[in-house]
Amino acid sequence: MSQNPDQSPSGTAREAQAPAPISFEAQILALLPTLRRYSRSLTRSDTESEDLLQDCVEKALLSRAQWRGSNFKSWAYRIMTNLHLNARRSIARRPSVGIEEAETVAAGTSADDPLEKNRLVQALETLPKEARAVLMLVVVEGYAYQEVADMLDIPVGTVMSRLSRARQALREKMREENVIPLRRPR
Amino acid sequence: MTEARSVSEAELHAYADGFLDEADRARVQSFLAENPEAAQMVSDWQEQNEELRAAFAGYERSKLSDIRLLSGGLARAGTRPSRRLALAAAAVLIFAAGALGGHYGPLLFEPADIRLTYAEILPREARTAFLVYASEVRHPVEVFANEETHLATWLGKRLSIANLKVPNLQGQGFKLVGGRLLPVGGKPGALFMYEDQGGQRLTVLVGRNKENRTTSFRFASANSVETFYWIDGELGYAVTGEISRDMLRRIAEECYRQFPS
Repeated sequence: MSQNPDQSPSGTAREAQAPAPISFEAQILALLPTLRRYSRSLTRSDTESEDLLQDCVEKALLSRAQWRGSNFKSWAYRIMTNLHLNARRSIARRPSVGIEEAETVAAGTSADDPLEKNRLVQALETLPKEARAVLMLVVVEGYAYQEVADMLDIPVGTVMSRLSRARQALREKMREENVIPLRRPR
Repeated sequence: MTEARSVSEAELHAYADGFLDEADRARVQSFLAENPEAAQMVSDWQEQNEELRAAFAGYERSKLSDIRLLSGGLARAGTRPSRRLALAAAAVLIFAAGALGGHYGPLLFEPADIRLTYAEILPREARTAFLVYASEVRHPVEVFANEETHLATWLGKRLSIANLKVPNLQGQGFKLVGGRLLPVGGKPGALFMYEDQGGQRLTVLVGRNKENRTTSFRFASANSVETFYWIDGELGYAVTGEISRDMLRRIAEECYRQFPS
């Protein structure tokens, strides 16, 4: 989009090809696909998701000193979750959507076409952020309740109540009969 | 035997999420067998789980711009100029190329595309086709019902469906008007049109997409036009009409039965 990716002096790159252990950057890079999925599951649009992902990467790079060499993935997820939960105010302040957002809306969600309204996604939008994050960590990202509790620094009871809240809310929203399983008789 | 020890809600969640060991799972199961309401709830949760996973699975991918994400060189929608990380793009590239080159490399060159999924395209195109063709008085179809065999062979060939059968909806009070070839998601697709005694029409759209993975059955409606669509393997189907949902659903079920699985 904006800049030419190869402004790097590629000569230097080649010379420095020392037997690198898996670097911090490389770990992030390898984690980006799942982080992107998690990011998208927390947010309302592709643009918002990419912004969160970028914030998360920046934050991770800046606080690399705080990573104690333990579970890198959980650490990154924790950063992303916290960034997202804390972003409330700054997002509300953001004046209007940029050009990228407009592109994304047109191609990605076509949110105002009633035909395209994905009910599940809509239902998700009604969840409190905290509950949604717990739901996604458990269901989509596959973390155990205790792992989520550790990651977010909350008691496991809170994890359960958020999970419960999210599930009941989704269930109510989805209840109108719209998605119907068909069975082919054999 | 002891306690008909009741089951906690936390255990129900753990059951739905597959976190229980064998013994607890059995206990919860026997509890659910006697508590249909709880059983329904848990089964709804499990269905939610699957839908959520399916909804976001597609986002797990790398993008061409990922490297720049690490080097801080990616502009964002907001106005924040990337302030930092003279952590040189060079350094990042070294690590990426060196440490990851093997398994991550090829992914880097996948297009970072944003596009509609087939499940989004299908109902939209079905509706458009209905609106355009069902109102045609003289030329609603290319091949009329009197040439049904030819119609089936022709469209079957274009869609690469062996033994394509034109669904018979007589039982639901709709007889075939005919069919036509039309693009669905940019590929050859088939449209069959039906009509009841009062001249009320409905259309059945069939399209093929090799990238289909999901199976979904759902309604979409816009104004009075209802579409019921589903994806079955590589094929997508959509039944559209200005008729009641109930009727549409029965017709969709009939089509589902008659189309090859």
